[in-house]
Amino acid sequence: MAVSVSVPSEVVTDRAGAPRRGRRPGRARLIAVALILVAALIFLLVEGLGSSLDYFDTVAQALAHKQTIGTSTIRLEGVVVRGSVEHTATGTDFVISSNDRHVRVDNTGDPPQLFQPGIPVVVVGHFVSASSDRFLSNQIMVKHSADYIAAHPNRVRAPNGSTR
Amino acid sequence: MSMTEEVSAVAMKAMKDHQGEPRPVIDDELHRRLRPRWVRVTGVAGLLGLTATVVLGLWVTPPDETQGNLVRLVYLHPPVAWVALYLAFGLAALSSLLYLWRRTRSLFWDRLAAASVEVGVVFNALTLATGMLWGRPTWGVWWTWDARLTSTALLLVLFLGYLALRRVPAAPEVRARRCAVAAIVAFVDVPIVHFSVVWWQTLHQGATVLNPDLSPTIHGSMAWTLLLGFLAMTAVFVWMVSIRYRIETLADEAVTRSLATALAERWAEDEASGTAPTFGLGASSVPEEVVSATRGDPQMSVGEIVR
Repeated sequence: MAVSVSVPSEVVTDRAGAPRRGRRPGRARLIAVALILVAALIFLLVEGLGSSLDYFDTVAQALAHKQTIGTSTIRLEGVVVRGSVEHTATGTDFVISSNDRHVRVDNTGDPPQLFQPGIPVVVVGHFVSASSDRFLSNQIMVKHSADYIAAHPNRVRAPNGSTR
Repeated sequence: MSMTEEVSAVAMKAMKDHQGEPRPVIDDELHRRLRPRWVRVTGVAGLLGLTATVVLGLWVTPPDETQGNLVRLVYLHPPVAWVALYLAFGLAALSSLLYLWRRTRSLFWDRLAAASVEVGVVFNALTLATGMLWGRPTWGVWWTWDARLTSTALLLVLFLGYLALRRVPAAPEVRARRCAVAAIVAFVDVPIVHFSVVWWQTLHQGATVLNPDLSPTIHGSMAWTLLLGFLAMTAVFVWMVSIRYRIETLADEAVTRSLATALAERWAEDEASGTAPTFGLGASSVPEEVVSATRGDPQMSVGEIVR
């Protein structure tokens, strides 16, 4: 009885029942699958050019459409400005910037261990008001770069701040 | 009990009834053919490479300017992701294409794709795990739903679906065709994972080596150790896939041989008793072409009988 299960009658009848049509529906189906795949890829490429899947707004982007953001909760990205970090009783205050636009961040809670001036961070929170450039955050995520540079006590920085 | 297990159980029983002892369905010759020397060489190379990567990664390379000692995960996480995305799922998609293409159609490609996906799924899970271990101390979170992380998690689910599809009972050819299509569809996510950090703003950093400018910023010994990590993981992948392929082939061969032998024996039995060959099912339930196809060729494979 088990053998009758394993010899797949569907295939046999397929071939026996429709010997002529065996080729064309297969090809049509293949083309249909290929079309769907291409359509999916095009959709994603178009979607990729859009920004709906962006994880955060940069400081410059957020300030550019600040009216629509209002005081809703967003993720905001910028580089921590050197010399701006102050530790307060409830957390950390600092300024983040991108493209010469600045936002002052009041963060509640402890920053992650890699938090330091000069590196990009993503803060989660909202602007105090639609007209304010103060941002209240309750979470900091460090967005480190994809560069790997050996720590060296005597490293010299180029005038533009980069290291090689 | 799966279809495969059922068939082999039935076939083994048939052989037992006839000879008292089950015959080995996998002989030494097949074992030898599926165990070439290069597989062992690759395994040893992978092991040595990984050992060297660990030593260099933990003790020889310097800490990073920003990340400090946390940077050492770079010698593990990207090579693991490289194996999962590009080698394993790439090979699976390629094999699936070659299976679907009429000229190169062979169950060899189906088995290779299956072996490759299985290894790929392990490495995909490891990619997520090592990424989380790295993300917690550096970013500050174990997980977040940015485009890179989400598309990578989706990739794991897609290929787990592929493995589930392989478990659906079907004739070898039917299953192979289904799974080949599924593998190609699932592979569409791989370029999305790769370009997610370029197309969208993500918390995950961009590519270090294959960045849009193709100008990696990674210092001397760190770069060499990373390269060694890639090579070692590649060797490990080749070794694991070849072993998994061998197991897949042996399992298929065991089913095929035992089923064919059982069918042949039952046929001989019916012939000896002067009745038409029915395989014990009653004449109407066995299509005529199956009966004639198996007559006189006990080594014929299941696939060939079906055809």
